[in-house]
Amino acid sequence: MAFTEDTWIGGNAAGFPATRASLIQAASQTQPALAAEAMSAVIEAYWKPVYKYIRVKWKKGNEQAKDLTQGFFASAIERNLLSRFDASKAAFRTYLRTCVDGYVMHQFEAEMRLKRGGDTITVPLDFDDAERELTLCSAEVSPEEVFHREWLRELFSQAIADLGQLCQEQDKLLYLQLFNEYDLAEPDARPTYEQLAGRHQIPVTAVTNYLAWARRNLRSLLLDRLAGITSGQRELEQEARFLLDWEGRR
Amino acid sequence: MNFLPDPVLDHLRNVIGLPDFSQTRYRLEREIGRGGMGVVFAAHDETLHRRVAIKVVAKGVLQEARIIASLEHPGIVPVHDAGELPGGQFFYAMKLVDGVRLDQHLERESSLANRLRLFQRVCDTVAFAHSRGVVHRDLKPQNIMVGAYGEVLILDWGVARAVSTAGGNEEPDGTVVGTKHYMAPEQASGRTAEIGPASDIYSLGVILRGLLNPPAPRPLLAIAAKASAVDPSQRYQEALALGREIGLFLDREPVSAYRESSFERAQRFAARNPTLLILITAYVVVRFFLFFLRFL
Amino acid sequence: MNKPVIGLALGAGLGFLDGLTAWFTPEVRPLLAGILVGSSMKGMLVGLAAGLLARKVNSAAIGVGFAFLMAMGLAWFVASFPSETGKFYYWEIMVPGSIVGAIVGFATQRYGKSA
Repeated sequence: MAFTEDTWIGGNAAGFPATRASLIQAASQTQPALAAEAMSAVIEAYWKPVYKYIRVKWKKGNEQAKDLTQGFFASAIERNLLSRFDASKAAFRTYLRTCVDGYVMHQFEAEMRLKRGGDTITVPLDFDDAERELTLCSAEVSPEEVFHREWLRELFSQAIADLGQLCQEQDKLLYLQLFNEYDLAEPDARPTYEQLAGRHQIPVTAVTNYLAWARRNLRSLLLDRLAGITSGQRELEQEARFLLDWEGRR
Repeated sequence: MNFLPDPVLDHLRNVIGLPDFSQTRYRLEREIGRGGMGVVFAAHDETLHRRVAIKVVAKGVLQEARIIASLEHPGIVPVHDAGELPGGQFFYAMKLVDGVRLDQHLERESSLANRLRLFQRVCDTVAFAHSRGVVHRDLKPQNIMVGAYGEVLILDWGVARAVSTAGGNEEPDGTVVGTKHYMAPEQASGRTAEIGPASDIYSLGVILRGLLNPPAPRPLLAIAAKASAVDPSQRYQEALALGREIGLFLDREPVSAYRESSFERAQRFAARNPTLLILITAYVVVRFFLFFLRFL
Repeated sequence: MNKPVIGLALGAGLGFLDGLTAWFTPEVRPLLAGILVGSSMKGMLVGLAAGLLARKVNSAAIGVGFAFLMAMGLAWFVASFPSETGKFYYWEIMVPGSIVGAIVGFATQRYGKSA
């Protein structure tokens, strides 16, 4: 029996999460409500990577990059970008990046704001925040790597926000705190399990279990988000591999 | 949302990709290797306070752990524990080997004698496994670890099988397991009934050839050629015999795989007896010198 | 075969061969028989002593050194007697003789059973 990572991508579940399965696929069949939902998910996941990518690759100033980013997504809505995506050719992430390149090359100015492009789509875009983050990124990576890395960062950030919400709902704030103190700490500032146990007056085994719970749910939320911006099971599996760096570990 | 720095992002990618060991006494640290049959992690045993290696395999594949557990030998990593995870995968814990793979070790080890001694230890371990009716089927430098103190361990028994003395195993014909470059012809063509200890010896022959830097001594090339003969009946029939041949070469004795010329025999004698050769040469030179001195 | 026996046999054989090289010195050819006997006996003595030493001491350097020096001493004794022509053959007897002793000493260290 060949071994695959798929056996634990879904945690206890038999397969991949199906809650938001294949929004892109659904949206491409021109159901307006679903298309709007899919586009919102895409913008939410991709606006920062697109902005940073334009800044790094095309060397645009922050105002121009801001305009181009908004213009790109507005154009994507107008031209129904999702319906043109062919999952057999490439991952959506790669397709989107290629579209960004094409858009910037033709230099469509951002006269069309997102609000005009679709009344049902509103995604807050904090470009100042994105610009601040750009200064924290390594200067030694290629623009393509910047795009993919920022996509990862954005997805994880959203999933962590979802985790926070889940912990609030299930009254597991201590779990969240442990997660923040351990898994979100810089490597040289990361405490040991024993230190965490002492700090919170709980056994070390509890620290292990609570962190495991948080990570398990983070994984599920991450895959859930990913499902919302991929075209189907195959792409979801491929993107999950990239997300979890399984190819990089080989 | 707070910015996620790159090190934190990498850490998150690592930890959420790890299997859930929270219900066991092991805390996973990091991935250290992977193969077709499973993934290996370095972990901390919270009960015994020691580091271990844990291999996670797909459901229903504990064969490897059982095989390793039945082989107690210094050259085979001992299995401490085995169990099942909530996700349905199986795992087994074994000694964490502090060392490097043979292929990496060879980049640093230039002495032919040292390489050959390492190889002998591999042969000893393989011979032991064969004596217990187990064939590894995937011997290669990447599955051999050299420890910090020179100890040699054979890893990844994931495709190992118990075979009867008559040869053959329960897999159907056509099944191909192993690594292409090191696979015996009978293995590569899926003739599972013919796979046996000689198949491992073929792999050992290929490994031996890989240890040799050109220009390699002809006796060693002959040994490697015999070990990796296409016809299993032409190979060494035991891994111990292969190890013994290497030992003979190291002792500058003649090896059965190579028919040496008279000149080579004399060369070997001279290499084994340099002191004697010097003394005899000194005697002859002195005699000649004294003889011709008479005419001066 | 034990070490003293190897020493005896090899010492006798190599001593004989060494003595035979005296044939290349025409002045001493008439005395060849005596030279052969003497050289062989010298070799046997050195070989026996080296073999007995090799039973107790496992060191090629010590075995070679001991036999070399013993052979040199015996060769000096023989060479100190003038030939019938009144000539002394110190170099011709001592140098090769010492080397033969060294060879025997090495052989007793390397080969043969100690017991």
